[in-house]
Amino acid sequence: MREHSDRQSQWNDSYLVNEVWLASQGVQQFLGTARRYRWLLATVCALIWSAGLTAAYDEYATTYESHATIWVLQASAEMAASIADQPDIPLVNTAASQQTELLTQLLQTRSFVRDVVERTSLRSDLAAAADERKFLDTTRKHFRVQTLGTNLMSVAFTAHDPTTPFEMVSAALAVREERVAKARVDSSSILSTLYQREFDVAQAQARDAQQKFDAWVAGHEEPVSDIDEHERAQLRLTLDLAQVRLNDLKGRMDRAVLAPTLLEVSGLEFQIVDQPRPESVPSGGERSAVMLAAVALASGLMLAAFLAIAGTLLADRVGAPADVRRLAPAKVFAAVPRIAGTKRHDEGDLRMRLAAIAFGDGQLGQKDIGA
Amino acid sequence: MKANGAVMHAFDGIAGRVDALGLRTIGFTSAVLGEGVSTVALGTALALASLRQESVLLIDGNWLQPSLTADAHLESAAGLAECLTRSATVDAVAQRRSGSPLHFLPIGDVATARPTLRTLSSFLAKGIPASTTVVVDLPPALVGESLVLPWAALLDQIFVVLREAATPFPLVRQTLATVGLAAPAQVVINRAIGASAALPAGMLAART
Repeated sequence: MREHSDRQSQWNDSYLVNEVWLASQGVQQFLGTARRYRWLLATVCALIWSAGLTAAYDEYATTYESHATIWVLQASAEMAASIADQPDIPLVNTAASQQTELLTQLLQTRSFVRDVVERTSLRSDLAAAADERKFLDTTRKHFRVQTLGTNLMSVAFTAHDPTTPFEMVSAALAVREERVAKARVDSSSILSTLYQREFDVAQAQARDAQQKFDAWVAGHEEPVSDIDEHERAQLRLTLDLAQVRLNDLKGRMDRAVLAPTLLEVSGLEFQIVDQPRPESVPSGGERSAVMLAAVALASGLMLAAFLAIAGTLLADRVGAPADVRRLAPAKVFAAVPRIAGTKRHDEGDLRMRLAAIAFGDGQLGQKDIGA
Repeated sequence: MKANGAVMHAFDGIAGRVDALGLRTIGFTSAVLGEGVSTVALGTALALASLRQESVLLIDGNWLQPSLTADAHLESAAGLAECLTRSATVDAVAQRRSGSPLHFLPIGDVATARPTLRTLSSFLAKGIPASTTVVVDLPPALVGESLVLPWAALLDQIFVVLREAATPFPLVRQTLATVGLAAPAQVVINRAIGASAALPAGMLAART
């Protein structure tokens, strides 16, 4: 058994050598086909590459990009602390990434993009568009909002004419500003209403405390006893507390209205460092141009490789005896015919039947050849 | 039995031509694996045994993949390799089915010997009776050139088996050139099994 397994191992090693040889032969055939059809493959590559490179150059040469760089400031710690327990915190939380996220989210909405487009020369195109949603989605893809640093962000727009990008970026910033301002006003109004209600309650409490105190003073004459003196002190304390509460609420109301307004007026939150400008020189198309060129180059190579593989697989093969003339001086000695009753493509069936005839089933024995 | 008769008669044409030309020693090789060399060698040996009604010795000379030996379940048996090292005689190791004129010489232990011109010459001249027809199953010539050329130089005729509509011309040319270094080869087209589409023969079934 061990001898048997050793031999099987040797056969397997030999078979592995065969497989490696066949693999190298396959590569050689592939390279041979590529060499044989090199002009065809070169032509195919040239066509695809030239089309791709032309498109890439066209993209590069006709793309204009306008962008704005924005300096975003975090609210001061004092300012943030003073309103830390207030619900208007998001209004003064101005990290660049958050502003980027805010603008990106705004751009996801069709109403925002529509408002932006309405302010530019593209509004006629929008009006004429058969599918407004598709138009807005396409327009949205031309925006690029990115964070450049902890306090720096940029907004850019690309188009195939010099003026549209400038208009779109300017309009986007303006619409954003309006939306944020409106949100601030709404938020401040809600907050003011809340404080006003609390203020009214506190004011009523202070008035009530004052009336009680005044009534007590009117009903007692000096000198008062120790017990009355203690009661008067309690009434005064209640009155003082009500007035302190009243003053505190008044201060909060003022700050709630003033804090966002101060930030906005001072321009601390959202400073446009580089204003968008109409670009006279093509720019911003490098990335898409490179992408187009890369896709074209890869496609050309892949198609050429595919053709070479197909050519290798479909290479001329010996079909009929007449074909063997091409192998002269070799001749066809014979052709083994297709056998009726043998499954097509099933060599195992034929082989098994031949082996059964020749070897039987373990019925071989040693006999002299001359016998 | 009728089906077996059809299988046997498929190789009558090639056996008839071998007989007509008086060839006594023939071998079959191919360009790559999967051309059906072993099948053609086996079928031809059977047809020759039937035609000539005399001893036919089928030798498994496929050092790379001795599938005939495997078919006969003689993987552990002594055979050609032992005959080449003279540690056994053909009479001692050749096997046959009772009543059949076909003898079979398995490959033996391939680690003990390799076929060389000298050992094969001695083996063919002294080990086999002159009246015996010898049919040798050989490995693909492009893969096992050194295992095929000594046989090609000594056999009466060597045949390159190619699968119809499957074997690429360049490989056949290369094979004929390789075998032709020793002796002119002739072509046997194997139609017994259909071509599996137009894939390279080497990528088809690995069985010879």
